[in-house]
Amino acid sequence: MRILISIILTIFIGFNIAKADIKVVTTYPYIASIVKEIVKNKATVESLAEGNLDPHFIVPKPSLVVKLRNADLIIINGAGLEIGWLLPLINQASNPKINPSSSGFLDLSQFVNLIQKPETVSRSMGDVHPEGNPHFHLDPYNIPVIADVITNKLCRLDVSNCKFYESNNTDFKERWKKKLKEWNEKLSILKGKKVVGYHKLFDYFIERYNLNLIGTLEPLPGIPPNAKHTENLINIAKSQGLDYIFQDVYHSQKPAKFLAEKTGVRMIILPHDVGSIPEVKDIFGLFDEIVRRLTQ
Amino acid sequence: MKKLFFAGLLCITFTASASDDIQQLKEELKKQQEIINQLQEKVKELQKQQEITEETKQKLNQLHQSQIDKLLSNPFSQAKFVPDISLIMDFSYVSRNLTDVTYKAVNIPGFNHGLFHSHGGNSEAPYNAERGFNFNYSELYISQAVDPYFDLVGIFHLGEGSFEIDEGYFRTKSLPFNLQLKGGKFYSKFGRLNEQHHHVWDFVDAPLIYRAVFGEHNLLEKGAQLTWLAPTPFYLMFGVEVFQGDNENNFNRNGFLVPNTNPINTTPTDYLKISDTKKPNLYTFFIKPSFDIGNLSILGGFSYAEGKTRIDHLEDETPHALTGTTKIYGLDLTVRYSIDSYRYITWQSEYIHRNFDGVRYGYDNANNLITSFLDKKQAGFYSQLVYKFDQRWRVGARYDLINKNDVFVNNTDSNQPDNLYKYSFMIDFLPSEFSRIRLQYNCDRSLFLDGERKPNNEIILQFNMAIGAHGAHGF
Repeated sequence: MRILISIILTIFIGFNIAKADIKVVTTYPYIASIVKEIVKNKATVESLAEGNLDPHFIVPKPSLVVKLRNADLIIINGAGLEIGWLLPLINQASNPKINPSSSGFLDLSQFVNLIQKPETVSRSMGDVHPEGNPHFHLDPYNIPVIADVITNKLCRLDVSNCKFYESNNTDFKERWKKKLKEWNEKLSILKGKKVVGYHKLFDYFIERYNLNLIGTLEPLPGIPPNAKHTENLINIAKSQGLDYIFQDVYHSQKPAKFLAEKTGVRMIILPHDVGSIPEVKDIFGLFDEIVRRLTQ
Repeated sequence: MKKLFFAGLLCITFTASASDDIQQLKEELKKQQEIINQLQEKVKELQKQQEITEETKQKLNQLHQSQIDKLLSNPFSQAKFVPDISLIMDFSYVSRNLTDVTYKAVNIPGFNHGLFHSHGGNSEAPYNAERGFNFNYSELYISQAVDPYFDLVGIFHLGEGSFEIDEGYFRTKSLPFNLQLKGGKFYSKFGRLNEQHHHVWDFVDAPLIYRAVFGEHNLLEKGAQLTWLAPTPFYLMFGVEVFQGDNENNFNRNGFLVPNTNPINTTPTDYLKISDTKKPNLYTFFIKPSFDIGNLSILGGFSYAEGKTRIDHLEDETPHALTGTTKIYGLDLTVRYSIDSYRYITWQSEYIHRNFDGVRYGYDNANNLITSFLDKKQAGFYSQLVYKFDQRWRVGARYDLINKNDVFVNNTDSNQPDNLYKYSFMIDFLPSEFSRIRLQYNCDRSLFLDGERKPNNEIILQFNMAIGAHGAHGF
């Protein structure tokens, strides 16, 4: 028993020699990328989910509990996107700093105008989010808002580095503004173009650049495509016209390819998060790549 | 005021255009007059509207004053604090070669007196007990944060004729050093499957070794649990539990009186008093390490449970009782390979070893009390492979084996069968995250009746559905 206690103590001391940096954990890589722009080397930043997977279905592996165990701040997307996986991890981590009611918990969806908020909800409508569409980070205009919120939170948690965070944020937003101008110019050709997506994933982007979503391959959110629904879509596409088929990186490409074949419209695989494809290394890269793929 | 303003405006216009042609001036004047007329009309209109609003206001005021007694408010409503509530139901259709009478009579030799046997008097049937349709349960989950310090969870098991508190516990949220305390009635964290609820199991039924060692309810106890997440770079959880020792197959805690002659056939004249155990009676300990290698997640576990045994079967057809100590060891390993967001392969195995050391009280043919030393060393395992090959489809196979069944009475081997095995195959369809339809085939060779093996082949079609606000499941 004594040996056991001493082993445990050694492990405890060995790994717990206090680190001065605060530790930020984010649910998705895009949030981690924004945080990195703000904290640079003054904090450690880790994402729980990987960018190439369906953000709704992250496996709550015990290894993720380890990341939360000594986190000072958890930043989540919110609006129900983490509903299927995050809470068991927080419960297991037994870290009072990141409980949903604590100061080390930040829900970004609270600070963004959400679209498609349903008046009523029922599970018979599929996997609807009562809070609205949670994929708001795909509107590039929401990114500076998110950066401001994160900076604000970091300033409260780590007062000594606040000035540093604020100047990094200003610098980030300046660079973002320049990029926005470039993207807006390139994307102006998209106005009024008709789109079919797999899931309601790119809706914020579609709304921002005045595209027109005429349907999704999923008959209802979270329900896989079926032949009858796809047939319907083909008819709509043929009668209304269709310009793009947006495909995400994690769903099966079969239904989109089928639609492309039947309508002669190009299927474009779009990254939705940092790390979803190897080319997308940070939040700038995410939109650079989306723009590149849509305009080439 | 407004008119004065317009007059002023007119003045300015007039002086400004004084030097201009008179004709032009007249025209200008005409235009201005028109504008003034229009504005005056507008002002009149506005005044009218103002009057109407005033009138309405007055009317409303009178209304409010006369109805003030009738106006109701609900200042103590707490409707927004409704906890998360969900309901889960399980139905099945069973086709089995053993008749219901035989299925009720069979037992796993050396382990228990049949799947239906109960020691407390409330003999609840196991799930999928009858051929044909079964309504297995309806389970009500209610949970919410109590305050910043505790969560409270209640899980109520509603059978056709029963209402049971399946689990009811609190859990701390703000202990330091990654400690967590749980108290109430709950499933022990012993092993891998024990803590999980029926609706998240990969198969319709519990593995053979679980049913043999723990009975139909697994290790469900009243007590407290303390877990600690060690500050290691990989997942390492330690935990201890202290329980009353409710498990009827292994522990119990209340003493009893052993009659000196067979109580069924004779009237006993004297009793041997067996005292209660110390309470709480059951202690468990577990370590669970986990780490990832790429897309491969590995979770292991070592568990240990120890408690005193008080098993009272003195009212049975063949009256007997046990006292002693039971120690249970468990080893588990789960390996999950994630192919993508929707597909994975998991391999899960558990090995459980039970050691009982104590005394058996029974009666001979002459109805006299016989006290014998009883020593049981029993062990078995299950190993299962589940493949989710599509967003909505999974297949799985499980192999169960009890390969150690040494029961020594007064140091003499009672030669219990030690090759009890079972094969199971399942396929399930998940229309959504909230519904499951599963078909399972069992080839069960673990059941005996009067010393003779009764092969049991069964097909079970299961429907499991959930409504309401049901929290996410862990790994």
